[in-house]
Amino acid sequence: MKKPIHIYGLSTCPWCRKTKALFTKSGAPFDYVDYDLADEPTQAKIMAELDAAGANGFPFVKVGADIVIGYQPERFAQLLA
Amino acid sequence: MTWTDVLDEKALAEGMLQVVYPLGVNVVLARVDGAVHAVAGACVHLGCPLFNGTLVGHTLTCPCHDWRFDLRTGRFLDAPELGLQVYGTRAEQGRLFVSLDSTGGTP
Amino acid sequence: MSAPPASSRKEVLRAFYAKVVEPLGFTFTPDTELVEFLLEQEVVLEGKHGVPFCPCQPLRGDREKDMKIVCPCIPFHRAHFDEMKRCWCGLFVHPGVTDPDSLPQLPPPVTTP
Repeated sequence: MKKPIHIYGLSTCPWCRKTKALFTKSGAPFDYVDYDLADEPTQAKIMAELDAAGANGFPFVKVGADIVIGYQPERFAQLLA
Repeated sequence: MTWTDVLDEKALAEGMLQVVYPLGVNVVLARVDGAVHAVAGACVHLGCPLFNGTLVGHTLTCPCHDWRFDLRTGRFLDAPELGLQVYGTRAEQGRLFVSLDSTGGTP
Repeated sequence: MSAPPASSRKEVLRAFYAKVVEPLGFTFTPDTELVEFLLEQEVVLEGKHGVPFCPCQPLRGDREKDMKIVCPCIPFHRAHFDEMKRCWCGLFVHPGVTDPDSLPQLPPPVTTP
């Protein structure tokens, strides 16, 4: 079974766009949310996840139980393999 | 040193910020514990007017983005490499004077 | 009076940032396309919030925290950025970096200073 993939980003963040493009290219299904465009409850939920992971920047990628903070194409490739 | 008359000494109350323009230069004056300090009036970050900032003790906080400076040295508190130009001040016959000459107290 | 073009504000930010980051041991990334894009995003953010926040870090609605991600935010994240040789969004890098794409975004250290 495929691991669920969730990506959080910002509409102003080029690395988030690159991340989204990379996952799109991989063909793996994922959902993507821009934190700055999300409603307040969603923002609070995303921020709680960032805080729990010790992150203060985007992109923030979850593949199953794995979390990647920042644009790390090699890590993404490993997790998609 | 060249001194420029800028303000009535009584006009600068303790803990207050006052903008003055000796020879057209934007300078902020402040009196803390009786002593008068003068620093550049534009924040080094994005040029915001510091006379609109807040003063707590010797710490001057920019109103725009909260960059904090030590009035005595001009030093930016979060990175010692950055700071405001510091100017000399003196009081004479009830008037305050500022010198735009380098005081050596500038980061 | 019409509003000045955003590009002029972009040039103001560029000029101020250059003076601020150089003493801190950083310079604009040689990736000029990235520089233009990020500065344009900051002009958008400043137009929206009144403040040129980092385009790649979240606003929390807490002034003390949010003011630590105003560009250039290097003074408030220095150890982390020095370790990466770049700031989080990559607008600034250490001088001498010629291949900025080789510098990964690393998570911040577990204990923030």
